[in-house]
Parts: sequence; C-alpha cells; structure tokens
Amino acid sequence: VRCQLCPPQRALQASAVLRRASDEQKEPFASSSQQQSSSHATDHQPEQEPQGPRPSYTGQGGQESEDYESEEQLQHRILTAALEFVPEHGWTAEAIAEGAKTLGLSSAAAGMFHSDGSELILHFVSQCNTKLSELLEQEQKLVQLGEAEKKPTDQFLRDAVQARLRMLIPYIDKWPQALSILLLPHNIPSSLNLLTSMIDDIWHYAGDQSTDFNWYTRRAVLTGVYNTTELVMMQDSSPDFEDTWRFLENRIADAMNMGNTANQVQSTGEAVVQGLMGAAVTVSNAGTSRAGR
Amino acid sequence: LNRPVVDRIIRVDHAGEYGANRIYAGQMAVLGRSSVGPLIQQMWNQEKDHLKKFDELMVAYRVRPTVLLPFWNVAGFVLGAASALLGKKGAMACTVAVEESISDHYNSQIRTLMEEDPEKYKELLQVIKQFRDDEREHHDIGLEHDAEGAPAYSALKTAIQFGCKAAIFLSERI
Repeated sequence: VRCQLCPPQRALQASAVLRRASDEQKEPFASSSQQQSSSHATDHQPEQEPQGPRPSYTGQGGQESEDYESEEQLQHRILTAALEFVPEHGWTAEAIAEGAKTLGLSSAAAGMFHSDGSELILHFVSQCNTKLSELLEQEQKLVQLGEAEKKPTDQFLRDAVQARLRMLIPYIDKWPQALSILLLPHNIPSSLNLLTSMIDDIWHYAGDQSTDFNWYTRRAVLTGVYNTTELVMMQDSSPDFEDTWRFLENRIADAMNMGNTANQVQSTGEAVVQGLMGAAVTVSNAGTSRAGR
Repeated sequence: LNRPVVDRIIRVDHAGEYGANRIYAGQMAVLGRSSVGPLIQQMWNQEKDHLKKFDELMVAYRVRPTVLLPFWNVAGFVLGAASALLGKKGAMACTVAVEESISDHYNSQIRTLMEEDPEKYKELLQVIKQFRDDEREHHDIGLEHDAEGAPAYSALKTAIQFGCKAAIFLSERI
C-alpha cells in the first residue's frame, strides 16, 4: 500500500522539499510528489526486495527523542481531528480550529493552513485512499488464503468504487464544495495525483497486468466511471444511494462492453483484410492465367 | 528502492525491447525468405524473451508503460522494413546502430544502479547485465555480416542512433 498523504502546501514547503530531496535517496517509496507518514502499511514490492527499516519522511531516524512530533505529524493529527467538525462547519478554517481545540491546542493553530480548506480536503481524500488500499489488500489476502472467492472483474471494480464513494457519505452535504476547491488551479496537481494513484491501486488489485496501451485505456475509463458516479451521488436522494449504485453498475457494464466491442472490431477488421487479400490474389491469378493462354 | 529511478529504468527498457521487437519484425517482413532470414529470426526471438522479462518486471514493480508504445510500434516496424529494403547489409547496419545504442544505454543504467546500491538492485542489475551482453552479441553479429558495407553506412548509423537517443529520452519521461 502506498501511503498518499499530501501535507499542506505551505511556505514551509521549501524546507520540506529540501528535507525530502536528501531523504529521497534513502526512501524506499518516495515518489516526487507524494510523501509518507511515519507509519506504513504493507507494500507490494516483489519478495526479493529487502524489507529493511525505513526512515520516516521527516528523517527522524532515531535522531530525535520518541516524544518529538514532526510538524507534518502534528498537522495530520489536527486535520484528522477537524474532520468531525466538517459536517457542521464545512471545509473551513473553523472546522480546523475546532479540531485543534479537541487536541488541546489553541484555535490559532488553524493559521497553519490555507484559509480555503484545501489541506483539509486533500488530507481527507488521501486518508480515504489509504483506507481503500488497506481494504483491497485485506480482501486480496483472504483470496490468497482461499478464504474468499476471487470476484469477477466487473464486480470487483463495482465494489471497490462503491466502497470508496461510501466514505463520502458522512460528508456528502459539504462534498460539492470540496470538489470545487479540489479543482482550483493550485490544488489540481495534488488532487489529480491522488485520483490517479487511487485508480491505479484499484486496477492493480483487480489483477490488471497490462503492459501496453491498455494500461492507459483501462485507467482512463475507470476514472471516467468514478468521476461520473461521484457526481451522480451528489444529486442522489434515494434511500442508501441505490440510484447511484445502479448507475455505477450500468457504467461498469458499459466499460466491460467497450473492451469486448474493441476486440470484435479488431477481429472484423482482420477478417476484412484477409478477404481483400484473397480477392486480390484471385484477381491476379485470373489475370495471369488469361495472359498465359 | 529509489522509485523514480527504477520507474524510469524499467519503462525505458521495456519500450526499448518493444521497439527492438518491432524493428526485427519489419526486417523479417522484407528479408524473411532471404539467406539472413534465419539469423534475423534468431535475434528476434531473443528480443521477444527480453520483452517478456520486462513485462514481468513492469508488473512486479508497478511501473507505467510509456504512452508512446503505439508510436514505437509503427516507427520500429517502419525502420526495420526500410533498412531491410536497403538490402541485407542495410538491415545489418540498422542492427549494429540500434544494438550499439541499446548496449551503451544499458551500460549507463548499470553504472547508475551500481552507484546507488549494488546490493539493493541485485536482481535488476543481473537482468540488465545479461541483456546488455545479448545486445552486444547482436551488434557483433551485425558487423560480422558486413553491416559496414551498407549504402551510406555512417550517415545511416548516425541518423538511427540519433533516433534511438530521442526515443530513450522521451520514453523515460512520458
């Protein structure tokens, strides 16, 4: 599982980037725009890779005492605590202030973050993605142990997308606001990153092993399904969002059909080419035999 | 593991083997029934094995393939066929140029990984070293079969190697 916590984008980011650059070489999983928390879930590296102790992102590595908490960790704790106040206050500095207060900190701690609530939303998305990855990892383990049946691909995708979207339910009233904030230019790199890693995770656990252009088509299609279903969910007032899940089922079925249709088009195309070649050979044979007479 | 570095290496190597496959396919399409047919087929088979190995590594390390694969599909085949249309020596010259580029490229990857941490990347290093040796062998076979006798050999070689450098640069990134 790749942890995808995106710490707040702040002026302090400059120092964080400098720290990251020196830590990157030692970091097993650091990708250029994602950072890690100090706790890791299991990963999927091939078994040959040595699983040594990993230095945390902040490079503590035993240099500080155990009570020392990095700024990132503190910010994560505040944002996590703030989530419970989102239904009431929205994705705002008020929610963050309330969260800080529950941790015994002054509400001025909210000043550490952007006023538009970007970090809170990104933190939430990242947390949901991590939860999804853990869920899928557990399911995979059960299948490997033989305690569960391997799901067919369409059902797997349906269940994974549904599980992920259900995490929005407690915050559904304020989610449209969050979506629009995620689309702000300064948030797009992070939100796009989180979206693409989530979709990649789902396909990975679904057993996708494509190494050709299908890698891209599959992810593009699933991203489309996810986004449209999310939007439908915002407008859905049916009991337990059953309309949304029905919409999801239909879109996944379409996606599966797309794959079949593509294959059929290709086979038909090949058959047509064969037919034309045969016709050409026949015509040329007819021509030469007439010429020979 | 240095993810960005491993990502790039596997992506570009996969693209390279894919391209090499298509080049040999193009050459076979033209020269398959000539006297060098079996030789080209043999080299092609080795490239197929290489590609298979990188397919496996790509899945194991969860690396994204390059978007340009459909393009390398066509470009590789066209290069192979065009060089073969210049005759057997033309095909050999193309092989020499490409294999030289690839083995230089593998060498620099080996250097990078050795500088990073030879122990951590042992498996990957082993694979790349083996493949580098195979590609060098192909290069030598090309020379043995009078690649240098091909029309406009040095111009051809320079042009093809420039194309390879561009392909490597792009496939690492996109």
